[in-house]
Formats: sequence, structure tokens, C-alpha cells
Amino acid sequence: MAVWPMARMRFKPSKLTLFISLTLLGFIFLLTPQNVTSRLNFAFISIFRFFLNVGSSAVYYQQTENSKASPYFVPRHEYDKLWVAFTNLQSQIGEQKKQIEELGKVRMTEPDPATGLVLAKVVNRRKQEFIINKGTDDGLVNGQYVLGDNAVIGIITQASADISSVRLITSSACKLAVKISAPDAEVYFNGTIAGDDKNGAKIPNVPKKYDIKEGYYVYAAATPGFLQSPRIIGRVSKCVADQSNPVLWEIDIAPAYNFDNLTDVAVIVLKTGIN
Amino acid sequence: MRWLRFTLLLLFIAVLQSSTVMNIFALTDRHIKPNIFLILLVYFAINCDSYNAIITSFALGFAADLAGSVMGPHIISYGLTGVAVAYVRNIILMKKTGQQAAAIFAAGIFVELIAVLLTGFKASGLAKADGMEIFAVAVYSAILWFMLKWPLTAAGKWTGAGIFHFGARQAGR
Repeated sequence: MAVWPMARMRFKPSKLTLFISLTLLGFIFLLTPQNVTSRLNFAFISIFRFFLNVGSSAVYYQQTENSKASPYFVPRHEYDKLWVAFTNLQSQIGEQKKQIEELGKVRMTEPDPATGLVLAKVVNRRKQEFIINKGTDDGLVNGQYVLGDNAVIGIITQASADISSVRLITSSACKLAVKISAPDAEVYFNGTIAGDDKNGAKIPNVPKKYDIKEGYYVYAAATPGFLQSPRIIGRVSKCVADQSNPVLWEIDIAPAYNFDNLTDVAVIVLKTGIN
Repeated sequence: MRWLRFTLLLLFIAVLQSSTVMNIFALTDRHIKPNIFLILLVYFAINCDSYNAIITSFALGFAADLAGSVMGPHIISYGLTGVAVAYVRNIILMKKTGQQAAAIFAAGIFVELIAVLLTGFKASGLAKADGMEIFAVAVYSAILWFMLKWPLTAAGKWTGAGIFHFGARQAGR
């Protein structure tokens, strides 16, 4: 009776079988819903988060340390923080005309008591995307606005239990309703912002009849269930006639922050559960 | 191939590729970065036998997806491209660095075109078909091959690729 040498038997498919099997595996991953497969991406980030973020924090703290050299020097990120706080307060004056002094004392607070903030750390920076260390366990859901020191920097696009992905406003995939503030006329012009996939964003299809100038502030418009009052996004850095359509403006927006300096963010979470 | 070492190398590259350290190499305001997975794809496709080239190509695609946002597109695109490069290697040896750089450039275009197409199929919001960027990454990766050839070849040999040529492996089986 023949005895099979079991210990020496090795399963080795042919090249064609191997190729087809691995291709099929790829298609299985491809056809599995994104909210399921994104757990693998988030697990990878969760495991290696320390190594993924090495460098960015160092840059941030190095800049902070350098700023201590002179008592008369205000670091760029500190200036941005103050400027954002100032413009948010201006917006609230326009919106509510009340309690500006109280709001000015409280950093990173929303005017509406139904709104809460979930503070999170940036654990990974991708192109036009942040990965943060808070997820659905903390009440995060897709579409929520994310603040970097009070300015809107993006929205939640994917959320797992303890980690989420933030699409930055500089991404063309991030589209938000905005208001352009015209302080001299005390009016707002509505529009939709979309990133330029570089370091800024654009507001397309704004008619030229609106008197918009460089330097005007751009706010994320209040959105039911997500944002209770306008929040600063940035300012108009360029406003010229659209070359392809002369009746429209070509508006470029410079974000309020250099995203490289951000290590912490806050997500606006409505406690009432409207969303 | 020493598959445990290959897995460790893959993990290291996945972490490196998605870490902020890579921002050092970013060019222009589009943040064009080299794609190390791509360089490794061509390296292993050239230096492994076609059987191992199939496995390494799909494994690199899996790692690229893991380090990215969407699972699936790169597994398929890297798999197809790696196998194609491995079969082209049977016709053209690609021993010169310039030829290898050209293969990296061509593979870079091919890989990303397929990946963008498949990403759009799965998660349209995450697919960005920027032809200029695909071209720039492929060129950057190909140029970087001239500088990274020595360390990556050393890493490749550590995993057992490119050592057992001229029938040594076949004799051992």
C-alpha cells in the first residue's frame, strides 16, 4: 500500500491559477462596500499612527520653539488663530448682534448650546485629507464640519468606531455652501466652495454683478444639522473676470490656516441628534 | 524568496509611503511625491521569476491600497502591471538602469490609470483623474530610481529577490 509523503506535500497552484485567484481577490475587495473595506485602512493607521505622524509634530513644535526667541515676534499660526477668532466674532455680530464680549472670552465654543465639539488629534496626513483619532464612538458621522482652531478646514467623509477621515477644503471632492462677506455693504453673497487640489479653493459660478473684492472673508454657511452659525473658512485671494465666461467671477480662496501646522482639530457634533 | 522579510519590507514601505516623512520629497504646490511601491513593483517583476513576480505584484498592490483610502483598485492594477512587466522581461532583459527607469515610468502611468478607473467604480468621490499628476509621479519615481537603486536592490536581495538566477532555484526544487 502506497504511503503519501504528507509532510513533503506542498500546495502550489499553477501560475495561471495563482494569477486568476489573486485577481479575483482584488475584485472581491473592489466590490466589497467602502464602509467595510475602509476598516482595513483605518486599522493600518491605528496600528502605525505613531510612525505615520512622525515629522509633522516636530515641525510644529520646532516653529513654536523658534517663536520663543523674540518676545516681539508673533508666530504665523498664532496670528492665524487670532485672525480666525476675530473674523468668527465679526460673523456672529452680523448674525446675532449680541453677546460678542462673552463669545470673545471663550475659545473654541459654538454659540448654540445644542452644539458640542469633539477634540481630536491628527494621526495621519494624506493629500488633501487628515486622519483623526475619533470616530463614531464619539458621535462622529459623515458630513460633520471639522474646525482647526475655530476655522472650518473640512468635513468628515469616512468614520469608523475610533478613527475618521477628514476631507480638507483644498480637495476638489470637498464642496461646501459658503457666504462671502462684503463688510462695506454689510451683505453676504452665496456660493459653493470646492478645493483646487493644491493649497487653496475656488468658488465657481458667482455672477459678476456681485461686487466682490480681494480680501473679503469667506464663511461656511450655516447648515441645518451640521453647523449652527457661519464659520470662517478663509479669504478671497484673487477675484478676476472668468476668462471662459466673462459674466462670472473667478474667485480663489486662501484658507485661514496652513494645514501643516495643525496637530489638533475639533469636530462640530450636534447633541440634539438632528443629523 | 524569503516571504517574512518581504512582508516586513512591504509594511515598512507602506508606513513610509503614507507617513509625513515623504513630504520632504514633495514637489510643487501639488505635493508630487515619488511612489516607492511602483519602483518596487518593477524591481521585483524584473528580478523574481514570473511565479514570484505574480505574488509580489499583488502583494505590493495590497500594501498600496492599505496605505491609501480604497481597497481593491491597486491590487488589480499592480497585479496586472507587475505580471505584464515580468513577461516583458522575458523578451527584454532590462538590465540597464535607464531601461528599468523607463519601465517604472510606463508602469506608473498604467497602474494609476487603471486604479483611478477602478476607484471611480467603487467610490467616485475619492477618484481624482489628474493626468498631469499621474505623469509627474511616474516621472519622479523613474528619476528617483537612479538614486534609490542601490538601497532598494540591497533591500530586495535581503528578501531573496535577484539572487537565485541561472537555474539555481529550479535545481533546488
